[in-house]
Amino acid sequence: MRLESFAPSRALSIGVELELQLVGTHDYDLAPVAEDLLRALSRTELQGDIKPEMTCSMIELSTGVCDQYETICAQLESLRDALGSAARRLNVGICGGGTHAFQNWGERRIFDGPRFQYLSDLYGYLAKQFTVFGQHVHVGCPSPDIALYLLHGLSRYIPHLIALSASSPFVQGQDTGFESARLNSVLAFPLSGRAPFVDNWRDFERYFEKMASTGVVSSMKDFYWDIRPKPEYGTIEIRVMDTPLTVQRAAAVAAYIQTLARYLMIERPLRLAEDDYLVYTFNRFQACRFGYQGVYVHPETHEHTPIAEAIASSIECIEQHAIELGTDAVLAGLRADALAGRNDARWLRAQHEDGAPLAEVVMAQCTRWAQGGAM
Amino acid sequence: MDFPIWPDWPPRFGALLPVGLALILTALAGEASRRARLPTVSGYAAAGLLLGPVLLGSFDASELAGYRSALELCLALLLFELGMRLDVRWFSANPWLFATSLAEIALSFLLTFSALQAISGDTMLALAIAAISVGTSPVVVMRVVAEQRASGQVTDRLLALCALNAAASVVLLKLVMGGLHGVHGGGGIALLHPLYLLVGSIVGGMLIAAAYAGLRKIVGAESEQGPAATIALLVVAVAVLHALRLPLALAPLIGGALVRWLDPRPHLWASQFGSVTSTLVIVAFILAGATANLSHLALGAGLALVAIAARALGKLGGTLAFGDRSGLDRSRSFALGMALMPLSVLALLQVEDVRQVFPEFGERIQAVVLAMTAVLGALGAIATRWALLHSRESRIGDR
Repeated sequence: MRLESFAPSRALSIGVELELQLVGTHDYDLAPVAEDLLRALSRTELQGDIKPEMTCSMIELSTGVCDQYETICAQLESLRDALGSAARRLNVGICGGGTHAFQNWGERRIFDGPRFQYLSDLYGYLAKQFTVFGQHVHVGCPSPDIALYLLHGLSRYIPHLIALSASSPFVQGQDTGFESARLNSVLAFPLSGRAPFVDNWRDFERYFEKMASTGVVSSMKDFYWDIRPKPEYGTIEIRVMDTPLTVQRAAAVAAYIQTLARYLMIERPLRLAEDDYLVYTFNRFQACRFGYQGVYVHPETHEHTPIAEAIASSIECIEQHAIELGTDAVLAGLRADALAGRNDARWLRAQHEDGAPLAEVVMAQCTRWAQGGAM
Repeated sequence: MDFPIWPDWPPRFGALLPVGLALILTALAGEASRRARLPTVSGYAAAGLLLGPVLLGSFDASELAGYRSALELCLALLLFELGMRLDVRWFSANPWLFATSLAEIALSFLLTFSALQAISGDTMLALAIAAISVGTSPVVVMRVVAEQRASGQVTDRLLALCALNAAASVVLLKLVMGGLHGVHGGGGIALLHPLYLLVGSIVGGMLIAAAYAGLRKIVGAESEQGPAATIALLVVAVAVLHALRLPLALAPLIGGALVRWLDPRPHLWASQFGSVTSTLVIVAFILAGATANLSHLALGAGLALVAIAARALGKLGGTLAFGDRSGLDRSRSFALGMALMPLSVLALLQVEDVRQVFPEFGERIQAVVLAMTAVLGALGAIATRWALLHSRESRIGDR
């Protein structure tokens, strides 16, 4: 089994995928309505795409290839509105958030499709427990070696991205104490975590062939890494983010990734080393558990700082690139949010602290998704 | 002096003993039904129709009056919950769904009426049975939905259409009875009485909704007192509706729908009634059948079969006619029509209402409706369950 060849794509082009929750408007539990929604949308012209996902209570929307933050924002908004008007006709709710607050995973149903059924047979209950909702961002790369440089370079910013997008404090009706509990479900998969430290495409192909010859994998889709190359698109795909509660937040996180990528591609500021990954899982855990207040250990200096400060200083460091890309205003907003401790996980907890039951929290999530708006 | 401290011989048990025995046997019938992989309510419905008359047939209505309030409370609770699941906003977002409901109501009424009219030549009888045929049993539908923990488009539409069917059936039958009053008692009463019932039910619904909203303000949404207070509220409602001679079905349904309309938050107290409703449901099936005369069953069988076929055509025709436009594919539109089949406790109660005012006419429609519910109580539950499984909306079938 050979790895497909890397189809170069426009540098810094961006594509965003959001996995969304489909809920009933009676009890706000997940509802198996993906097929009905897709059917209702089949006659609508879309800017981008809307696809089924693993279980029938999930749906995925994805933008086309975009270059500008404004385009991402506009496409996400138009997809959200198209989905929203179909959902109103069916009287179902749609919301963001990395987990559903109180669903019972045992009640989920796997979507009827060969790949989903195969995964369900392979992973058993893990497949149903994988009813979690993430944001994936693709970044276009002009060559495979640049893709690998970007992959390892961006891995330093994984904690930043987790803290900014975290929106999964509740699982199975409980407050987990985590800001992003979703990633704990991902870790159960055997091929999750980080990509191996390989910095050129020839070596990566060799690694893939070795893995394929063990019979463990047959395509890149079998790797559930935090960041993985997607050769057929010519992109790397960053997969650690929870789906935010608004498309604006999702677009802002994508803009942050795009700006970081420009900084890494043009300045080539890092000398990559396997040892960078010594602190990787620690940093990742801190971000999932504590969000902005988590500890970030710098891979080279080993300095400890709160993740909020690491985010703020990273945004200062890439300011020039943000101005070039036109993302400076939106990044300034993210920086202010990080320093003030504002994210979706905190917003969700605040809804619940008023004594509202979790069903009402999910209802508030649906309203927030439909209306968008600032934190 | 003679103190009543020693038991009589032979001991006198009153109606309580046979009622209790009937309940145990009905519960066991439900269990047998479950083990046979059928809906539990199928067992209840069948047992209720057999055991009710056999064990309780010898008692007259006054001896059973106390137990009847349990039946009425059960109906009020379920219709209140059903009302809360009826989202009126959905009809404005998806007018084709409302069209589906209208079509299905109109077709089942017209087809049943014309078929019975052609065969029996008795217009009033055909009208009354057609009005009852419009209904879909809320008790059966809600129990099957709860048993399957169903969720999805067919489930949501089934509950919405079931609520509208129940309401339409009650209103239509009252209008038919208004017509009967006209025949027997003059024109004024024919118009005034249905009007009184309708306005009274709406006002009653508003009061129930207001009282519930008040309770919800004081009692937290997740507290234990909420469900208990709601049950008590409906006990009061049943008592008041009784005193005012208003239909029991309409006001709780309207009240529930108003709660949902005015406060779209999730209202989950009703779904926490749990074992209270399941016990009441068993009581309801037993008592609904208690006044039945089994010898009538055969008498009405012929007309009942015709009515069942006409009604089924109407329900399926209605759901298939606008299914696609309302956003449901053909196979699930068909499933939705099948899910609407059950006819049970509410229909029997409606007949009983007629019988109290027009005993002779009531007897005649009872024979037919009894035979209809004998088929559509047990088999209707099976049809509803098939529909939910076929649409893959059961959340227990997939494990």
